[in-house]
Amino acid sequence: MSVAEARPLEPVFDENGWFQDDDEPAPRVADVCLLVEGTYPFVSGGVSSWVHDIIRGMPERTFDVLNIGSHAGAFTKPRYELPSNVLTLRCLFCRDEELPLVGHAERTELDQHIRSHRRGASQPSSSRVLNAIRRLHLDDRIDDALVADLAAGDLGVPTFLHGGASFDLLLEIGQHLAPVTSFLDLFWQFRAMHVPLLRLLSAPTPAARCYHAVSTGYAGLLGAVWGLRTGRPFAVTEHGIYTREREMELARATWIRDDEGAPDRLSAFAPTPSALRQLWARFFRKLATVAYHRASHIITLSEANRRKQINDGAPAAKIQIVPNGVALAATGPAPPPGPEPAHGPAPHGSATPSETAAAAAPLRVGFVGRVVPIKDVITFIKACDLALREMPLDVRIIGPFDEEPTYAARCRALIKMLGREDSIRFLGPMPPALIYQQIDVIVLTSYSEGQPLVILEAYAAGIPVVATDVGACREMIEGMPGPDQALGPSGLVTRVATPRDTAAALLRLASDTLLRRRLGRAGRARVTAHYQRHDMLESYRALYRTLVEAKPWQE
Amino acid sequence: MAGIGWKLQRMIDRGSLASTIGAYMTGVAVTSAPWLLTTAVLTSLRVLSRHSEGPPFTGIERIITLVYALTVVMSAPVHVVVSRYAADRMYERKLDQIAAPLWRALALTLVGAAALGAGLMAVLGVSLSVGTTGTVLTAIVAGQWLLLSVGGGMASPVVVLRAFGIGAPIGILLALSFERLLDWGTVGYLVGFSAGQLATLALLLRATARALPTAVDESARLAPAFSEYRQLALAAFAYHLAIWADKAMVWILAGARVASPYASMSALAWFSSIPVFGWIYVQVESSFYHRFRSFYDDLERGAPLERLREGAISVATQSSRIMRGAVAIQATVMAVVMLAAPGIIRAADLPASAVGSFRLAVAGADFQVLTLLEILFLYYFDLRREALAVSLTLLGGEVVFVAATHAAGWPPAIGYPVACATSALLGMYLVRSRLRTLLADTFQSQPFGRAAFAAAASER
Repeated sequence: MSVAEARPLEPVFDENGWFQDDDEPAPRVADVCLLVEGTYPFVSGGVSSWVHDIIRGMPERTFDVLNIGSHAGAFTKPRYELPSNVLTLRCLFCRDEELPLVGHAERTELDQHIRSHRRGASQPSSSRVLNAIRRLHLDDRIDDALVADLAAGDLGVPTFLHGGASFDLLLEIGQHLAPVTSFLDLFWQFRAMHVPLLRLLSAPTPAARCYHAVSTGYAGLLGAVWGLRTGRPFAVTEHGIYTREREMELARATWIRDDEGAPDRLSAFAPTPSALRQLWARFFRKLATVAYHRASHIITLSEANRRKQINDGAPAAKIQIVPNGVALAATGPAPPPGPEPAHGPAPHGSATPSETAAAAAPLRVGFVGRVVPIKDVITFIKACDLALREMPLDVRIIGPFDEEPTYAARCRALIKMLGREDSIRFLGPMPPALIYQQIDVIVLTSYSEGQPLVILEAYAAGIPVVATDVGACREMIEGMPGPDQALGPSGLVTRVATPRDTAAALLRLASDTLLRRRLGRAGRARVTAHYQRHDMLESYRALYRTLVEAKPWQE
Repeated sequence: MAGIGWKLQRMIDRGSLASTIGAYMTGVAVTSAPWLLTTAVLTSLRVLSRHSEGPPFTGIERIITLVYALTVVMSAPVHVVVSRYAADRMYERKLDQIAAPLWRALALTLVGAAALGAGLMAVLGVSLSVGTTGTVLTAIVAGQWLLLSVGGGMASPVVVLRAFGIGAPIGILLALSFERLLDWGTVGYLVGFSAGQLATLALLLRATARALPTAVDESARLAPAFSEYRQLALAAFAYHLAIWADKAMVWILAGARVASPYASMSALAWFSSIPVFGWIYVQVESSFYHRFRSFYDDLERGAPLERLREGAISVATQSSRIMRGAVAIQATVMAVVMLAAPGIIRAADLPASAVGSFRLAVAGADFQVLTLLEILFLYYFDLRREALAVSLTLLGGEVVFVAATHAAGWPPAIGYPVACATSALLGMYLVRSRLRTLLADTFQSQPFGRAAFAAAASER
């Protein structure tokens, strides 16, 4: 993972969410409008690093960056210095800031506003957007007419909230998809689901020579709609599979109340999710399908993800695999051809003097990434605790922990409860060059991943990896079919949310220096052969050339 | 309110003729007994004074009538807001927040009404003793109405009836005693009558205090409710003013000679609404409230769509049934009263030429009661603006139509039923519109997020 330190930049947004930069002349039409969801440049992490890398790697192209966030207060300072080829940074928000308490006068005024709107919106509506929403829920077909309806922009948020036609649609959905669910819950979820959609669809369409969404979901949908509105090409790149990640979040979501008698919400992967969870999951799946349908190119990181996309409705012919890449020089000094173990006994009594000195030092285990639920740091801590019962380890959690402070606090509390404060430490964010010099093994326990940069960076430093079987991790560790597999494994794959698996892998690596060496060498060879940054950039350079030059831009 | 509603429902559910009649008699008693008993006291005093050598009661009766008219109209907004506040707290099960605001409202009502009474007495130019007593009576009557509107819902109807039942004979006895035994003259009537009303107020006070929980939240405030329910308050004011508006218009346009028999006819005509008051009270408090509450309870408890649909249909069906029932009862009573009109007019010692006007007044009173039922439904559905519109239509209609009929040379009594029919039709339209879209309105009227507030602000 590359975490660039942010320059001291205070972003200012105008009423439309446009980033204001006094030094910047009037915006020109960008070559690429990059649509991201809640990531670059405000959140550090794999996708943000990738976006930053793409932009920096193509100085010949100009970019608009559009970040879709949950609410205005969610973004504060950018974590990345915006490269000079970024023309504008714009933010769109799915919802408003938290509601302040309103006084009686405001409430009365609001009531009057709603009443006047109810009168105006009580007639049956022939809104195309409403028709599209209906199709998203009740019709399996995805076609150009659906995208065109979404792009029509003939449904405002107030009309949706208070109109008769939208309520009729809610009744229809309730009848067909949630007949035994609390209608009150369905009503609020229906609003929560579609208000962000309408807000985003009503945003002005920025001119660009092509649109590139770095996920499906809202970003993908908006890219599809804007592409249609402007007649410009649209492509989508998926790192993790958006719909799967949302489904996992939905399964654990506490803001969805399950039907009476339904399985306990906390049984996160209940075989039959409640109707409301299914409604949300279907909604996100449909958004993804719309993006797949409309995109001229679908880029994924791995074969595993490609299969999932096809399964989710992506046309196979459109999918192209472009793995992530790292610049080998940027990740610190490459390990020597025969790397010396950082610690542990050398096998068969062949220890060198330095190995003997290091033998007393515990294995240095690193978790590198954001301390957020999707990374399942809890499982990592539990696994380390299990391993620590067998042998000493020096565990470091490296990465920002301010994104989900509650979760980070939970992790700290767990460490304290286990009495492992001395062995498991939070080090905060660090420059990549420093990270890998002091780590012997990298561990990833994520619920979901795309193609983690941290694995590639560890490989570049000759460090073996223990990672859960998510996203492209198995492919990255065991190799893609063909010559890649011949390189041998470069780490160990474990099951999701299984601390014992991860602990066993750690113990195995800690006790087998030769294995660590072999895996580290294979990783270095693998990243050299398949995951070089310049290869990735070349692929995207070619893609952008195709998209931008698809047809002459009409100014 | 819920408590009395369940009792009435249980009486009806027993299925026997006696229990059903008992339920409706309870409704009649609760809605009409205070008014009937007060009228009975005044009538008794008038009759008794005729057969004595003492001073005539008519002057004092006029003062008492004006005191009641002024009090009922001016305190109506307070009563409706306080009763709505209490109903809301009962719905939220925050009973401890009722007592403190109620006592504060009572104190303010007594002081405010006394000031009003003093003003009225000054305008009437009565003697100091009559003026002082009249001022006190105004405060007592205003306090009674306030406790009746709030405590009547919380305390048992029997207790409320007992309060008026005891106060009425005390009023008669003391009035006659003070006038005859103590030789206080006409002021004796007024003091005695007021003492009887004071006894009623004291009993109501005790009943209400007993019905309230012992835990009291002193921080609870009533003032915001006046702002929140100002449309309801205005609606109540307009409706109560409309009870007198036609009489005032006749008095202004045609003079006291025409206005006096007109007012008497109107008062007589109002008696025809007693049966329907019973029906409305029992039906609204029992079957309608039960379904209304069930609908919202289901909603809050997370009922599925189908159940809410059934609930909404049930509420609509009940509302329509109650309105139809009210119309049927009124029509029947009206037909009987129309036929008996000559006899009633004769018995009331009114001129035979007043029969036609009396029939019109009966029709007007019937429409006015129907309007009241519709306003009640609009209150329940929280359609404050619509309730206000109906009340203002009634009030404005009376002024306009009475003036128009007078200008056209027709009897002024024609304007009154036309105005009441207009407001009743408007009310019916609004209630039926609401019932048709109850489910959609309940949900789609909810605000959502800051966008809604921002939109409202931008319009401002």
